Amino acid sequence: MRSRRGARAAVVAAHLLALIVVPARAHDFWIGPSSFKPAPGAIVAVHLWVGQNFVGDPVPRQSGAIEQFFVRASGIDTDIGGANHIDPAGLFRAGGDTTAAIGYRSSGSDIELPADKFEDYLRQYGLDAIVAERARRGEAAKPGRERFFRYAKALLTGARSDATATSPLGFAYEIVPHDDPPLPLAGPLRGFILYDGKPLAGVLVEALWRDDPSIKLAMRSDAQGAFTFTLPRPGVWLFKSVHMVRAGFFSSVDWDSHWASLTCEVPKP
Amino acid sequence: MTARRLTLALLIWLLPLAAQAHEIGTSNVRLMVNDKTWSAEITTAPTALANKIGPQAGQPRVANLDADIVRTRLTAATRLIAHYIEVRFDGIVSPARVTVTQVEMPDDIARPAFVVLRAEGEISAQAKAVTWRYGLVYSTYAVVFSDAQSSEPVTQWSDGDAESKPFPILISGPPPSRLQIVAQYLSLGFRHIVPEGLDHILFVLGIFLLTPRLKPVLVQVTAFTVAHSVTLGLTMYRVLSMPPQIVEPLIALSIAYVAIENIVTPKLTPWRPVVVFGFGLVHGMGFAGALAELNLPRGEIIPALVSFNIGIELAQLTVIATAYFAVAFWLSDRVWYRARVVMPACAAIAATGLFWTVQRLFDV
Repeated sequence: MRSRRGARAAVVAAHLLALIVVPARAHDFWIGPSSFKPAPGAIVAVHLWVGQNFVGDPVPRQSGAIEQFFVRASGIDTDIGGANHIDPAGLFRAGGDTTAAIGYRSSGSDIELPADKFEDYLRQYGLDAIVAERARRGEAAKPGRERFFRYAKALLTGARSDATATSPLGFAYEIVPHDDPPLPLAGPLRGFILYDGKPLAGVLVEALWRDDPSIKLAMRSDAQGAFTFTLPRPGVWLFKSVHMVRAGFFSSVDWDSHWASLTCEVPKP
Repeated sequence: MTARRLTLALLIWLLPLAAQAHEIGTSNVRLMVNDKTWSAEITTAPTALANKIGPQAGQPRVANLDADIVRTRLTAATRLIAHYIEVRFDGIVSPARVTVTQVEMPDDIARPAFVVLRAEGEISAQAKAVTWRYGLVYSTYAVVFSDAQSSEPVTQWSDGDAESKPFPILISGPPPSRLQIVAQYLSLGFRHIVPEGLDHILFVLGIFLLTPRLKPVLVQVTAFTVAHSVTLGLTMYRVLSMPPQIVEPLIALSIAYVAIENIVTPKLTPWRPVVVFGFGLVHGMGFAGALAELNLPRGEIIPALVSFNIGIELAQLTVIATAYFAVAFWLSDRVWYRARVVMPACAAIAATGLFWTVQRLFDV
């Protein structure tokens, strides 16, 4: 994936949040491998996490909820195996020679929230357009009925870069880096938000640092679906974004939400 | 370790019975209500817990902690953790004391790590119900309630920091006498049909509307009663088991069937009692589902079961008697009784049954 250098970034906001356990009804989902730099031949345990502010609970493997769970290295996909109902959700042997991507796509899960909690969460995730749309439809006071889909990926550092890091895995909603972030970079981290394979403008993208998730960067994707973060520290970062669309006429819910995440370790420049 | 993994796997296997929500995590809670105290065993992920409370406890966030550090950190933060545990008896919070009882963090990355916390507190006198809320979890997790007198634990699924539904407790005050239990479950059985069980009422009306003559009604009611009594008992003793996702649509379908057959024929066909018996087996499993939620008193299961069943029979007879004296007694000898009463009523019942069937099948 390529983009024009110097693409206009939208508003970039870096702010410290008071780090408290905030009760919320919507949670992020990400992949946390046992190592972001596995040695060649090493076993990698793949943990799935659900939570907020890069703090969460491990999610055991649930085969019924998994649509895709694989590792892509050198263009080859290998399914990640594991024991059902057990954390870690999967295990695989790392090649270690190139950057590899772990991908997880869930089947849809339904959830219904009271109107106030639903709208709080919409605002929290930058989905103000949905708040406006609910008001336009006269649904502002109605509970939010939603089906959510998870698209999580993690990049593992290898001995050399690979197009795997900068190519889409093919998810419906996806965060794709412009460069291979696990490799030493001089400049800011750039990437794209893709929805159905096409760049999506105007969606909120957030970046959180694992060692101190109060360090949180946020911006909206530009007209080319691009975002740029100047990461203040090296280490493990979570990039995340949520996109919501009206569910189909025959759906039992009103909204389909798509949750994309990307975790990777950014080395010192 | 194996027992904990098996417990979690079993709880997750049971999740389809619960409403869908967020992803199921590895946490689970066993809340035990004793005579004057309660205790809860919270099993959860250790590093995640340490990092959740770390900032407030003044502890830096670390990705890779070992068991000793986790134990030290959590032990230092037990008062903080206790603030996130909200056990309410009849709405009144019972403050919790927390201790760290076990930390397992195996070197083998393929094996799960867990910490076990014990929380405990006092029960306010004469409390009738308890609720659980835990603010340090983001995923969906199982809360297993039990008390000293209940026959078996009751599992609820909690979504993150949401408060559980009230769990009725039996131990406050002197234990009820057998007579009190019989009266209580007789009433519960009756109320499960009238007024709470509209689907069962429509089924019984379907039986009654076939013909107002005594013998066909008696044959059908007997077949239905024998059948649901058998499956109610067998299901409560775990000899039989069928998930509500199957039982509930079948109950709705049975309503539609008897109503449609009433439209097709006014006679008691040879297969009708057999079909009613079959549907009675299904309804019995539905009754068992309702009874299981009532937290049967340990040692008094049979009196409770029998009186609950008698309560159901009394309610059925009440429905039939009401229908008979309200309508059939006055109108059944009119030539238009079938055309103007039975047919429209059965059409409405059939439509309702079919609607419920679709609704319950597709959860819409």
